[in-house]
Amino acid sequence: MSRPASAWIALAVVLVLAPAVLGVASRTRAALTRRRGAPVLQLYYDLAKLLRRGSVFSDTTTSVFRAAPACVLSAALMAATIVPLDGRGALIRFAGDVVALAYVLALGRFLLVLAALDTGSSFEGMGASREVAVASVVELGLFLSFGTLAVLTKTLSLSGMLGAALAAAWPAGSPAIVMTAVGLFALMLAECARVPVDDPATHLELTMIHEVMILDHSGPDLALILYASALELSIIGAVIVTLLVPRSGMPVGVSLAVLGGGLIVIGAGIGVVEATMARLRLPKIPLYLASASSLALFSLVLVLWSGA
Amino acid sequence: MTPFLIGLGLVVAAAIAPVVLPRGGARSRTFGVLLLAGCGLTAAAGVIVLAGGGSVHQQWRPYLPGGDWVIGIDPLSAVFVIAVAVVGATNGVYGDADVRASAHPERSTEANATYAALVASLLLVVTAQSTLLFLTAWELMAISSFLLVITEHERAEVRRAGWIYVVATHAATLLLFVMFALWSTGAHDWTFASLAAAWGGAPSHRGVILLLGLVAFGLKAGYVPLHFWLPPAHSASPAHVSALMSGIVIKTGVYGILRLLTLSGTPPVWFGWTVCMLGAVSAMLGVLWALAQHDMKRLLAYHSVENIGIIMLGIGLGALGGAYGHPALAILGYGAAVLHTVNHALFKSLLFMAAGAVYRRTHTRNIEELGGLARRMPWTFVMFLIGAVAIIGVPPLNGFVSEWLIYVGIFETARTVGDLRLLICAAPVLALVGGLALACFAKVVGIVFLGTPRSACAAESSEVGSSYLMPQAVLAFACVAIGLLPALLATSIARLGAFVAGDPAWGSVGAAATIGTLRGPMLFAIVLAAAIAVAMLARFAFGRRRPVRHAPTWGCGYPEPTARMQYTASSFASPLISMFGALSGVHEHRGATLFHSEPRDIVLDAVLARAWARVESAALRLRPIQQGRLQLYLVYLVAAVLSCLLYLIVAR
Repeated sequence: MSRPASAWIALAVVLVLAPAVLGVASRTRAALTRRRGAPVLQLYYDLAKLLRRGSVFSDTTTSVFRAAPACVLSAALMAATIVPLDGRGALIRFAGDVVALAYVLALGRFLLVLAALDTGSSFEGMGASREVAVASVVELGLFLSFGTLAVLTKTLSLSGMLGAALAAAWPAGSPAIVMTAVGLFALMLAECARVPVDDPATHLELTMIHEVMILDHSGPDLALILYASALELSIIGAVIVTLLVPRSGMPVGVSLAVLGGGLIVIGAGIGVVEATMARLRLPKIPLYLASASSLALFSLVLVLWSGA
Repeated sequence: MTPFLIGLGLVVAAAIAPVVLPRGGARSRTFGVLLLAGCGLTAAAGVIVLAGGGSVHQQWRPYLPGGDWVIGIDPLSAVFVIAVAVVGATNGVYGDADVRASAHPERSTEANATYAALVASLLLVVTAQSTLLFLTAWELMAISSFLLVITEHERAEVRRAGWIYVVATHAATLLLFVMFALWSTGAHDWTFASLAAAWGGAPSHRGVILLLGLVAFGLKAGYVPLHFWLPPAHSASPAHVSALMSGIVIKTGVYGILRLLTLSGTPPVWFGWTVCMLGAVSAMLGVLWALAQHDMKRLLAYHSVENIGIIMLGIGLGALGGAYGHPALAILGYGAAVLHTVNHALFKSLLFMAAGAVYRRTHTRNIEELGGLARRMPWTFVMFLIGAVAIIGVPPLNGFVSEWLIYVGIFETARTVGDLRLLICAAPVLALVGGLALACFAKVVGIVFLGTPRSACAAESSEVGSSYLMPQAVLAFACVAIGLLPALLATSIARLGAFVAGDPAWGSVGAAATIGTLRGPMLFAIVLAAAIAVAMLARFAFGRRRPVRHAPTWGCGYPEPTARMQYTASSFASPLISMFGALSGVHEHRGATLFHSEPRDIVLDAVLARAWARVESAALRLRPIQQGRLQLYLVYLVAAVLSCLLYLIVAR
């Protein structure tokens, strides 16, 4: 199978699987806390339901509020085209595409934050304020990780960093790679609003971050945003899976199976964290982000030190 | 060369026209036509040079001391000429309308005349290729911009800002005098060409010259800690002056540093690292301090500090590329720095113009008093939003292209060996800067334009006219065009990078590399723009078949929300501000029913003002010896002469 075809199939796998990863997470959490929990496919049902519904728009809002969800989804889709989901090469790749990955997600976040402020609600303002604060530090950690990978693989494109060059770097660089992957997992929890930074299951607006920011969205718009968040989590998840199991040499079928299985494992991992940890107090979040970033920093120091 | 000189002449004529012509509509029109024609011609001259790849110059021998006058356009001058012309023309049209709509419409005479004089001196600064001409243009620029800053001189804060600016800019000029004097000791005349030739002969002074240039031009560019004059000056001046100051005047500092590098050849390693460090610190602190501001124009001014930092990072990359012998990196770094300079000139002017329109209609620059302007000033909102998306550097606008080029340069160092690899640590810093910039512009756009009005002046605002909006539309179009079609500029960028790096032969190597490099983000930006368009169309087509209801914003059960309950700018920025603690320079006031924050400039208020107070009190202690009594001065004179004689006797 030629490379673009496998990239398209991998993209399709991630697009289809993304909501299930969150389902697995909540199912695992429920199982570990001795509850029954929602079905794994719950988010699909929710999305289908929301898409059938009409919308309620606040009188305060402008077209920013209406345009944001579609833009957020496009941004997430574009991010998916840069990541080599099949483990070999992405649909769009160029030197420095890591920057495009981070910045296109930032574009989505910017518009979502504006949509939140568009409602004039103090709760949504609060959520937006926390979201941008968390995201700025996550960005720092993300680029520390990218820096590590760039030094390790001597490539500037994600398709190289996660492709053949990664497999070649594994034997010597495994400590740094594993540390980067763990750091990325911790950053993913923050970026995608999961425990211990944010709790998607909480019901008190004052303690929420992401959830409270999208309080006013309804119907299809909410569906787009929920799906885009799930997709973002799966994209970062796919990066982590590829880091830990370089797939450039595998046959396409195996590679895709590893991707799907890996994403499910990541979902289960999120569930385990959610079942075993409490959400952190808001003032503690910078500390958490700093520790996650310092993991990435350590791995960067490691590769800079070792490969002089 | 001739079109440029004619254009320059027309801009000078635009400076004279408001003074000599009788008051009325014809005068304003003449000013506009002369300025636009002059800027158009000079820009055309710049484009010709940039596209052709060569350079032109003209030399005169005036019967004046100081040697020949040389005006020349090489690729570096050309790109700055284009930027000056585009920003100068759009701001001129905007400024003419804005000053006439202000409380003092009669000031349009001197405002327009000084403005055109500033544009002319800027054109001369970036094309002068002999020392005396350059310094003359530099001083003209300083004086005309000072006069523009104090346009509203009846306000005390404006006068203070003006003084701080004039002190800073003259300190810079003084340092430039010392720098050129040191440099020219080995040169046979005062032209830049001779200075470049003399560089090899003055090895002992090289470090000093580079440092002097870095500080002198830095005082103009405004990187931390030399930025202190910038926020007060930008907040005090009329909108179009702030736009030109932030877009172009501070960039003459960048031009100066790049010119210094062009003339002096490959810089030493320490210079590259110093510039990189200054850039990183400046970007970081600039954006952090911007986040703390509530005065819209001060906030934008701190973002200029941030962006100068990003540009410096690019220059540092280029310098290190040269110093460590990586031509591709040198071209990438310098090229990215120049592109970001142009981009910043475009979107920052756009933002200042939109902010000025908001000020004109609401009479306040305080973000906390605004809100809901998107409904009242929809076009101004669109312009500001385009500027904001461009400045935070996200695709598909122009800010992304240049920031991405700098990132590529930084990541490129990861492939090298040795010390240079440490530069990879700049990538996370730049990423954090990007995150903070996003937070800051989410705050400005969200609090100023969205939500509901927080005061009567915001509620009663209305859209501005086309003489405000058309200039903004031109700049916004340029931002979108560079964002979507960056590969068209690739050859010019590579050529510029190679020119500054001092080896035009690298141009062809670099051109190929950069063109290849820029195709990626171009494809990405176009696909992204298309995806967004398709997704939005699909959403609206889909939504048409679904019922839509309108309701008040969900207030979590509280039935009577008011505009005062909205999140404020202070509270929006608070999590990030508190994360950085004392570094952010913010004093927060918290109470059971109140929360507001008050930004201070660490360098100006905490260091310079205090140091100056010490100097002043020391000077007061010396006061008794200066009493204005003739007898006392005669005693001093005699004592001085006697001590000189004594010294001569003892020395023998």
